[in-house]
Amino acid sequence: MGGELLSVNDLHVSVEGKEIIKGLSLTIKTGEIHAIMGRNGSGKSTLANVIMGHPAFEVTSGSVEFNGTPVEELEVFERARAGMFMSFQYPSTIPGVQVGTFLRKSVSAVRGEDGPNAREFRKELKSHMKSLNMDKSFLSRYVNDGFSGGEKKRLEILQMLLLNPTLALLDETDSGLDIDALRVVADGINSITSTAGCLLITHYQRLLDHVKPDFVHVMIDGKIVKTGGADLAGHLEARGYDWLEA
Amino acid sequence: MKNYPLIPLPSRSDSLWRYTSWKKIHPSEVEEMPKSNPIIYSRGEEFQIDDSNEIARSFIHSISPVCKKISLVNEGVNLDLESSGDISSGELFVESRGDSTITIRISGDSTWTGLRINGDVTGNLSVAVINEISENSNLLRCDNWKVNRNSSLELATLSVGGNLNKSDIRVELKSKGSDLRCGIASNGSRRRNDDHHIEIEHTVGYTTSSLVMHASCNDASRSIGTGMLKICEGADGSDAGQVFRNLLLSEKARAEAIPGLEVLADDVKAAHGAASAPVDKEQLFYLSSRGLSLQESSSLIVEGFLMDAFRHVKNPDVLLNLRDGLLNHLDNLITG
Repeated sequence: MGGELLSVNDLHVSVEGKEIIKGLSLTIKTGEIHAIMGRNGSGKSTLANVIMGHPAFEVTSGSVEFNGTPVEELEVFERARAGMFMSFQYPSTIPGVQVGTFLRKSVSAVRGEDGPNAREFRKELKSHMKSLNMDKSFLSRYVNDGFSGGEKKRLEILQMLLLNPTLALLDETDSGLDIDALRVVADGINSITSTAGCLLITHYQRLLDHVKPDFVHVMIDGKIVKTGGADLAGHLEARGYDWLEA
Repeated sequence: MKNYPLIPLPSRSDSLWRYTSWKKIHPSEVEEMPKSNPIIYSRGEEFQIDDSNEIARSFIHSISPVCKKISLVNEGVNLDLESSGDISSGELFVESRGDSTITIRISGDSTWTGLRINGDVTGNLSVAVINEISENSNLLRCDNWKVNRNSSLELATLSVGGNLNKSDIRVELKSKGSDLRCGIASNGSRRRNDDHHIEIEHTVGYTTSSLVMHASCNDASRSIGTGMLKICEGADGSDAGQVFRNLLLSEKARAEAIPGLEVLADDVKAAHGAASAPVDKEQLFYLSSRGLSLQESSSLIVEGFLMDAFRHVKNPDVLLNLRDGLLNHLDNLITG
């Protein structure tokens, strides 16, 4: 495994005065896959949003560092340009903006001068779309407008592949996917993990059958209450979360 | 028929004149008949169209030194109209057959421009009207379109030019199977005032229409959209809808959207809606998370919002012209 990529230290987060994350610490190194599991409302998605910089969440104490830089010093777009990527549970619809235009602007913004020229971009795009079983008609549709749940998740993974992040925050990327789509999306995730750290937020074992995590963390009421290996997900699937609260 | 200036001045209780009065849009004192320079047309043959009982149309007709006709038969045409001098005006008649397109660009630096367009559509016609007159100009535009049996009209307006604009667009669906897809996108900045009134009349049954107006307003600009959907007695089987959406980009920006219905038939579908909102914060976050700065994200959202007014426009050439016109305008705003 590589060097320390993300360091979360005793993080406390509130939204509209209500504390959601209550002292959470986590370290992710390049090449590591961390899965976070937990009940609805335990703070999993909040954690991903805070790391990415969602303005609705207030960090009341603790810190998050990305490549040694406190993320509070970075705007959301600067975090993205520094190599951070978040796959959204509910990606926004952007009516009137074609997927192709959006992808080109995004790749240009994130990868800058090191990014592909127009010809290379088209080649990369075609290759990734083929690997995700996406038809080229996607490119002329408006971003997430009228997309099925599975189409939205494929577009999220397509963006991840094109942006080539060093840290991927994947918020319930497996929800809404059928078995075949799950495998396609999992292949996409696996393809970046040699060069990136990955934080997978999920409710289910089924994604972890295809993407093998190095660590599984259980979040309850804003804290990580247990950390284990990949086998912990199997225990949770069989036993639920009650035994961890005893 | 009474000609201007014998037509009585309109009351501001009339929704057409409530927000931008005749006095305000008139280029001089309302009783005057000012001298007008002709709009320069890039093509078209000399023609005459009739006067009107409606005050704005009759005024433009009375002062206009030029009227042109464009005949389209299965072809695509770009028509450039340029105004110059203090007051500039003209009339245009568009007649189409088969599958045709026309993109009408209005530019120039007249203090005041008046344009009257009449159209007669048989077959499928896709129209883009792009207002890119200079930022200190005023524009009065009056349209009358007739859509014939089993024919369709895509009528898209991109309104990004001028300081004070008033458009009065009327479409008559006069025979069974006639269809209208009307989209209007307006982008305001500084103290721009853009007033669109759209009347769609279903004269007979089994006709369809949709109207989408999207206005984004920045600085102290103002947009007004008033719609009047008339479904005449006996026009059963008509299917119509109108939606007005406004995107408010500053605290001083204002937008009014007032859809109206007048339904005199029994078996019809008629829907309308209006909404105003600031830029969606979740959209901003999403685009920012893809590396776009706040300004880039906001600009892309505005671009998409305005282009979305043309989602029913199927003709790719017309769509491309609209998109190019919008991108040029947004680039100019950023680069000053």
